[in-house]
Amino acid sequence: MELDYLATVLLSSLSSASVLLIATVGLAIVFGLMGVINLAHGEFIMFGAYVALFATRSGVPFPLAVVLASVVTALFGAIVERAIIRHLYGRILDTLLATWGLSLVLYQSAVLIFGTVTPGVGMPQSNIEIGNYTLSTYLLFLILVAVVLIGLLYWLLTRTGYGIVARAAIQDPETAATMGIESGRINTATFALGSGLAGFAGAILLPAFPATPSMGFAFVIKAFLAVVAAGPVTLSGTVAAGGVLGSIASMTASFYTTVMGDVVFFIATITILRIFPLGISARWRLKL
Amino acid sequence: MFEITDATGGYGKTRIIRNVSMKVNTGEVVALLGRNGVGKSTLLKYIMGLIDVFGGQVSLDGAPLPASTARRARAGLGYVPQGRYVFPRLTVTENIAAAAIGCGLDRKEAVERALSDFPILYEKAEALAGSLSGGQQQILAIARALATRPRVLMLDEPSEGVQPSIVDEIAGILMAMKDEATLTIIIAEQNLDFCLSLAERAYVMAGGTIAREVTRDELVGDRELLHDLLGV
Repeated sequence: MELDYLATVLLSSLSSASVLLIATVGLAIVFGLMGVINLAHGEFIMFGAYVALFATRSGVPFPLAVVLASVVTALFGAIVERAIIRHLYGRILDTLLATWGLSLVLYQSAVLIFGTVTPGVGMPQSNIEIGNYTLSTYLLFLILVAVVLIGLLYWLLTRTGYGIVARAAIQDPETAATMGIESGRINTATFALGSGLAGFAGAILLPAFPATPSMGFAFVIKAFLAVVAAGPVTLSGTVAAGGVLGSIASMTASFYTTVMGDVVFFIATITILRIFPLGISARWRLKL
Repeated sequence: MFEITDATGGYGKTRIIRNVSMKVNTGEVVALLGRNGVGKSTLLKYIMGLIDVFGGQVSLDGAPLPASTARRARAGLGYVPQGRYVFPRLTVTENIAAAAIGCGLDRKEAVERALSDFPILYEKAEALAGSLSGGQQQILAIARALATRPRVLMLDEPSEGVQPSIVDEIAGILMAMKDEATLTIIIAEQNLDFCLSLAERAYVMAGGTIAREVTRDELVGDRELLHDLLGV
């Protein structure tokens, strides 16, 4: 096997794992940390993508459009938490049904408003050459985005006052309240954070994955599997599970087919859960 | 003065405590005694606003306290629940910091003070609270409650499931706080020796209400009372 081919496959796999992580961290917060099964997570990604798309079409520079999409999706998430989710904490089946309904409403609304196909953002594409092979510069840039995103999120949740209080309120809202923590407000903020991260994912992935009403489906199933395989140490577990699963699937797809890559992803997830029924991080002594 | 008037509360439609009234002076340590299931823990939860309220009022220095648990904490009520309930996936430092932040206090100062007041926690500062022993968790729960700078501290069975040497340490900590004479302490306990080492007065509960108010001397000298009300 040629060295340049191997390097291309490795970088491509790392990039695919990064895309999966970017799409998953929001769910890691909402599902992994808060325990809310948000079946509309994929549609939150789609929501962010459309906000960014229309912002760039209105002349907003792409980096600002990404920020705008994150903020707008976070605000939308806060409204959803206040209107729906907060009445259903601890009622898993009801949450599942409610968020499934929300996902259907968002998906059909997008179909009605935008149609099933939407033009991309039209950003100039560039490639880098590795020997006889080329890789998209933007897909490589997403590796850096994933690293910075995970680092910032870890800092936010472990070093800041909000992060400490949020983790306390999620772990035990009643005890947190006895220490003056307004658990309801904190939960709204944390759900908004997870939603904002989904919006960020939709926006930052836009140059590589065009906005369509069904774009969320492409991410959400793998994202859920990665978070389940991650286990209780949410962020570190998601990085490990998402990184491993994403890389394995991408490498398989490089050597065989995309379908084979997906099959290997699911087989690897099942294998992990057979060996670690509570997720790979069940015995890790890490705080996040 | 900390005062509870006609407290009636419970869970759903079930009333557990009925018409409980008590007064505790500032700086006083008062014990809440009684057999299992008489409503001691429920009364403390009522005071913290954690159960359904059917009537009554809780007031501090003459001012009625708000209904919300979080606001009561910020108004000066500190609570150490039965079973500790530390945040298992937060470190010792983060547990203390969370309490300080919740009450709008400086978290660094709170952590420094707690680690200085409770040296047993110092070497475990960065350990996850869930990895501590039961006794260490109990001390963390007390340190965490104190990090809110409460005016009234309520402890629910602080000696339960804790090894004797740690119980002595907890008694020493509470004794030191008692000496400061600014903190009002209410201890719900079944460990009579532990209670009598700290409190000079006790309310004895039975059937969800206050059956009797006694001084330490009365309690120690009345074996019949001890047997009837406390089963000892």
